[in-house]
Amino acid sequence: MVRILLRFSEALVEKPITSQIILELKVPINIITAHVNSKGGEILAEIPDDALDKTVKAFRAKGVEVSIPKLVEVDMEACFSCGTCVSLCPVEAISIDKDGSVVFDREKCVGSTCSACVDACPARAIKSVKQLGTIDKGGLKKKAQKQS
Amino acid sequence: MQKFKPNSKQNPRTLEEINEKIKKGDAQVLTAEEMKRLVESSGVEVAFKEIDVVTTGTFGAMCSSGAIINTGHSDPPIKMDKVWINDVPICHPGAAVDLYIGPTAMSETQPFEYGGGHLIEDLVNGKEVDLKATAYGTDCYPRTQLRTQLTKDDLNQFYLLNFRNCYQHYNCAVNSRDETIYTYMGKLLPHFRNATFSGAGELNPLMNDPDYETIGMGTRIFLGGTQGYVIGEGTQHEARSQNGTLMVRGDAKKMSTEFLQGAALTKYGTSLYVGIGIPIPILNLGLAKKTAIRDEEIFTSVVDYGVPRRDRPKLRQVSYKELKSGSMTLEDKRIRVSSLSSLKVARKIAKTLKEWIESSEFLLTAPVERLPLDNVFKPMRQTEETPFVAGVMHAAVTCAENEPIRDIASRIVTRSVNHIIVVDEHGKITGIVTSWDITRAMAEGRKALADVVSRRVVTAKPDEPLEIASKRMAKHNISALPVIDHEGRVLGIVTSEDVSKLLGR
Repeated sequence: MVRILLRFSEALVEKPITSQIILELKVPINIITAHVNSKGGEILAEIPDDALDKTVKAFRAKGVEVSIPKLVEVDMEACFSCGTCVSLCPVEAISIDKDGSVVFDREKCVGSTCSACVDACPARAIKSVKQLGTIDKGGLKKKAQKQS
Repeated sequence: MQKFKPNSKQNPRTLEEINEKIKKGDAQVLTAEEMKRLVESSGVEVAFKEIDVVTTGTFGAMCSSGAIINTGHSDPPIKMDKVWINDVPICHPGAAVDLYIGPTAMSETQPFEYGGGHLIEDLVNGKEVDLKATAYGTDCYPRTQLRTQLTKDDLNQFYLLNFRNCYQHYNCAVNSRDETIYTYMGKLLPHFRNATFSGAGELNPLMNDPDYETIGMGTRIFLGGTQGYVIGEGTQHEARSQNGTLMVRGDAKKMSTEFLQGAALTKYGTSLYVGIGIPIPILNLGLAKKTAIRDEEIFTSVVDYGVPRRDRPKLRQVSYKELKSGSMTLEDKRIRVSSLSSLKVARKIAKTLKEWIESSEFLLTAPVERLPLDNVFKPMRQTEETPFVAGVMHAAVTCAENEPIRDIASRIVTRSVNHIIVVDEHGKITGIVTSWDITRAMAEGRKALADVVSRRVVTAKPDEPLEIASKRMAKHNISALPVIDHEGRVLGIVTSEDVSKLLGR
């Protein structure tokens, strides 16, 4: 599975684009988080690897901005592994390993769509990243795998 | 200092003997975690025979810390009155140029993000800081304005002088409220959805010498990455309830930011993480036993920080073993647990101290005075009463779910109230209606209570301070709060009129 972030402009928010693509392509899109406000919407979704290219194409054809979510940035120099963030993560993406170090599981993290850990860090080592990785033709899979 | 059991078969050793071994490089040193493993595998007698020193460590937010600095005199000289360094207000408790940096003092330009703790960290790191001072000017100190840049090398003295550090153990915090709260125990999710705790448990210095046999005034310790000293018991010290604390001092110029870091706690303020390690000389069999204490034997209370009172409800006892496992049970639910202090750095401190002793760089000292074992941490004497909700609330007028609106309307008139609380057959709150809701219902011809009742009711608890309840009313722009118990049963109501009557008294 690959996580992608879908950005819907104000004009697109009211259209059932995600449902249409699920029906047209028969792709099981797993919606992890969804937010809508007056400026548009944002969906974090999981797509099966083999359907990634055609799904991305389909969303783009309908005017949706698609990118690889860069979730949180953790400054491991600043982090002193207190572990304050651990219990705040709703998807249990943060844990403490054997030697006491805090470890982030980027596969599980839902990033900027959650950010529950960000304001709890006493070292201010966690930054929520709204800026997104770009997807070039063919480069998508590679980048997606790098997240793991 | 040494207390020996007269019938002990093991020969006690003296501190002088241990120091002789350290000087020769022969001392046998274990970290507290290693000691526990040795006692478990080989027994306490063997551990006592073989081990001379056990090292401990802790690294946590210690707000009651600070640094005393002396800047030297300017020309013309100034008796500093108001002082800021990097926009952090600095305390000037003494003569002209002695300043005390408190870690919780916050930058006036970046409050909650940068404070005295960060300033101490920056100074330790060798960074240049910006000092501004004003003064009223005297004949001997004529200057009234000053601005200069300083590094730690420019300071005459830069000492950490921490008045309450190294808590033996601390509460585990949870939150019963409907909203997330931000405390000195970190971010606490509503409805007991997470828990936080602080302290290194079995690695904590005071837990390994709970009777203060070896830790006392004058004990040489690891402080912030260099050698420091215990200078007495800390404020709020209460050894008999395992709430011992220490007052410590160390040369901050020699410290390292690996073991001394500024911290920002959202909506609480800034603080300083301090690293402390204390060597425990194994002078007798009793100390070998005490340093073998395990996390499963160290208990603390789970405390509801959702209750804004000094004495908060204690919900259960929990061991450090359970806390360190990352989750615990509370009211039959599994909740995740966060540590606020760093076990990783605490371990590194114990290990570093062990290496210093093994390499003859660190000799142990005997305390020149024992710390008190029997003092009590008293609450504040309050000469003015604080009003609580229970003191001003009055009986609530209620109705049942199935009552006709007309009956409720007439009750509003006869009882001369604006709020009617809707309750079930057990007296538990299910909603609230106001005279406005009823007026609207009549105007619109609605007959059913269900059409006008508000289901999301903002409430108060009887033991809450009235000030907090009033702020809640203002926040939600409402004029009354039903007062309920923990099961949701209606005990009364407190209105904005009650508050104004109290203030106008």
